[in-house]
Amino acid sequence: MITESLALGKRSLTKWTRNPFAVIVTSLQALFWLALFGNSFNPANAFPSTAAGSLGPLQQAFGGASTYITFLTPGVISIVALTGMSFMGVDLVFDRINGYLDVLRAFPIPRTSIYFGGVIQNVAKGMVAAPITFLIALLVPNGLKLAQGFGALNLLGIFATIALLTTVFSTFFTGIAISVKSTDSFFAAVNFLTFPIMFTSTAFFPLSFFPAWLKPVAQANPISLASDAMRLLVVNGTFSPAEVSAFIEDWVGLLIFGLAFALLGIAMARNALRAR
Amino acid sequence: MSKIIDAKGLTKIFQSSAKVVDGVSFAVEEGEIFSLLGPNGAGKTTTIRMLTTLTSITGGEASIGGRDVTKEPGVVRELIGVVPQEITLDNELRGTENLLLAAKLHHVPTSLAHKRAGELLRLAELGESGNNRVSTYSGGMKRRLQLVTALVHNPKVLFLDEPTVGLDVQTRTRIWDYIRQLNREQGLTILMTTHYLEEADQLSDIVAIMDHGTIKVSGSPTDLKESLHGDVLVLSVNDGGEDLTSFLKSVPNVTEVTRTEDSYRLKLPKVESALPAIIANIASRNLQITGTSFSKPTLDQVFLEVTGRSMRDAQDGGGNGRTDSYATARRSETK
Repeated sequence: MITESLALGKRSLTKWTRNPFAVIVTSLQALFWLALFGNSFNPANAFPSTAAGSLGPLQQAFGGASTYITFLTPGVISIVALTGMSFMGVDLVFDRINGYLDVLRAFPIPRTSIYFGGVIQNVAKGMVAAPITFLIALLVPNGLKLAQGFGALNLLGIFATIALLTTVFSTFFTGIAISVKSTDSFFAAVNFLTFPIMFTSTAFFPLSFFPAWLKPVAQANPISLASDAMRLLVVNGTFSPAEVSAFIEDWVGLLIFGLAFALLGIAMARNALRAR
Repeated sequence: MSKIIDAKGLTKIFQSSAKVVDGVSFAVEEGEIFSLLGPNGAGKTTTIRMLTTLTSITGGEASIGGRDVTKEPGVVRELIGVVPQEITLDNELRGTENLLLAAKLHHVPTSLAHKRAGELLRLAELGESGNNRVSTYSGGMKRRLQLVTALVHNPKVLFLDEPTVGLDVQTRTRIWDYIRQLNREQGLTILMTTHYLEEADQLSDIVAIMDHGTIKVSGSPTDLKESLHGDVLVLSVNDGGEDLTSFLKSVPNVTEVTRTEDSYRLKLPKVESALPAIIANIASRNLQITGTSFSKPTLDQVFLEVTGRSMRDAQDGGGNGRTDSYATARRSETK
């Protein structure tokens, strides 16, 4: 199954790299989030007396991040993963509409390899956007301020986390993409799901900003888990045992989501691709 | 020769729909070209989709190369190549890349896959275009590439669903040549659907005429046409009032003679075998033949005989509002 999944993943990636427009647009999405949202909605704007971009008295509430964009960057990386993974599945919808999916069903391959081919190519695409987002965050005015002692391990941890989050969303949205019959249904489902996921997360603001009734949802949201894990790596050069424990908890949460969505996606794919 | 496709009582009922295929039975011998001929809505595409494991079978059974389609779908998929009615190539990939992907998914070793891709591109006269993206190909080139893509793993049976639909006459003729070549040179068994009478007539060893989900009649195109008892010969004779009806009826194998004002209309199995004797006899009577014409029976006439309507009428709206295109068959499955 791995060979077939990789072959199908490679097919989509080959096409993707031949269309640089899609690569550029996906990657630059982060620029708008960081430069526009990061400055317009910057809570530091409420404290004009503080140094440019500094969160001032809010620094503690924002997990110790010295600037809002430092807090926001892990959130934006996660949001780009969410929006990227949700819409990239459209390839499979078009494959169904133009009959290609049907042709694949006539090959002697496990039907789940069609699903995993979609997951793999989406994750690979998503992983291109992550370092670009990180670079943009460093370059925008009042941008990302890395902690003293930030090193290769922190960077590796950030990309490992984003790979895991991308996989979580890819397993979920690829399952939807393989199940729907039309682009209308697909975009309706994606729009319906992405906004609640985005706005019930700690991508933009810390957990303490949420009303009590929404806190459990925000805490368990995969974007929150990934954002918080990455924030620990960005804001801290070194870690206390409590911070290591928090990081592991976030990862365990993401792994559970990934496994659950993969199982759900496999079931959806099998149902969608079986002979009727 | 042995049976490579064996269908017994194949039946398909889609949800809240009538029987689309109703107890269809047929066998295809190894190396044969077998056509399912019929108008839209006849059940041809659904039959082919059941045999290729894409649509479940409601009733009956089918095997390919002795392997049960329902019980061993994975093995069956190894044995077959499928060319759907629509172009389903990846337009953004190159011709070679489409072939190599198909080879990979059929578990053809990489080195062999490259060799095979080169051979198939040459076979389809696409050797020069293999490195171009499929989006730059003409309709005929795409159709040829799609055809050879299904052969990358050397299948035993090739399924072609309306292989030339929508193509111009010249391209259609070329595709026919490829189909004949594949059958002749590679001994490939081919099962195809078509609603083109000429296509079924020109290519097939055996034609099964389908209508309303059932096979009405099957046989070689020649046998089917001869079953109508023959050619029609029209003789215009300056007979000077002499009635030649009795003589013409006495000619061996002539089954029917009708005299009109200035000509005789004869029905007989083969005009070629009887014509010299007829001409000689009339000449011996010092009568002058002023004109002859003859027509061979067509598959359309066979269709008319077994269904009570011509294929053209059936195409124009006799399909009870149903259509049997590939896309429609797929849509039916998702209801």
